[in-house]
Amino acid sequence: MKLTTEGLKTALLNTADQIEKQKDELTDLDREIGDGDHGINMSRGFTAVKKELEDKDSFADLGELSKLVGMTLIKTVGGASGPLFGTVFVKFATKWNGKSSVEGDVLYDGFKEAADGVAARGKSKAGQKTMLDVFEPFTEALKSDEPLETVIENALAYTKELKAEKGRASYFGDASKGLQDPGALSSSILLRQIAEVLNG
Amino acid sequence: MVNLILVSHSEKLADGLKELLAEMAANVEIHNAGGLDGGKIGTDVSRIEKAFSSLTDDAIILTDIGSSTMNAEMALELYTGDRNIQFKDVPLVEGAFLAAVQSGQGLSVEQIMQALETEFSK
Repeated sequence: MKLTTEGLKTALLNTADQIEKQKDELTDLDREIGDGDHGINMSRGFTAVKKELEDKDSFADLGELSKLVGMTLIKTVGGASGPLFGTVFVKFATKWNGKSSVEGDVLYDGFKEAADGVAARGKSKAGQKTMLDVFEPFTEALKSDEPLETVIENALAYTKELKAEKGRASYFGDASKGLQDPGALSSSILLRQIAEVLNG
Repeated sequence: MVNLILVSHSEKLADGLKELLAEMAANVEIHNAGGLDGGKIGTDVSRIEKAFSSLTDDAIILTDIGSSTMNAEMALELYTGDRNIQFKDVPLVEGAFLAAVQSGQGLSVEQIMQALETEFSK
């Protein structure tokens, strides 16, 4: 499994298209246990990312690409998802600076740094029904032989049954059980696209 | 005099709080970094950064819930200016009252941060 600058760029463009397709689903989920803007916010952010990627011909390395994506998300998504998804890419950049292809431990280190960054930013941990419940299993699976697709599927199913303990959804308590967390779903969209280029 | 930056999801909420604070500490500079464009509810890093650029002195940021806190911390990490800007995660209304009154008395950012710590860790 190898992630190249070109591969990540492809995954991001595909993520932008997929977010657009699932925009209403993300917003509807957020209406159930949040403030009902997740699909709109993510769509705005990834549309901006897509534009940045299309405007710039090439990137020196994964660090430069990740940093641009992170800053764009921070400035355009808004809400909690802006700082959280932005942090993912800003942290990738710190580990992958100067590298145009990563695999093995270096690939893992980037995702580990990202998941830890999200945990710190949201003062959260796995098990609280957040994007971390998808990001952490995905990160650990990079060290195993388990198919990433299956790991993402299982993580989503598990997250759905959890009780929300962070963010707006936490005010719903037990009523949040059985409803999917919008941030976990949008994370799965991104990670699926990354898994695809990793496997390809 | 230490400035205050209010980051609420609602611009109106922050404006209302500003009115309350003006009764207690009329001379303290208060920046409203709340809400989104068009009066929409939410918080946004760029609004906080805009408040940073209009500071007249060092400052303290106070927030309401969830994303306002994350956006405040993010904006602080991205800040490259010379002002001493600190964030304290305390109840917005009560925290802003204490901070505004103390700022009006000429206390420093460190002294106000300490006062907030003492008051809200009880």
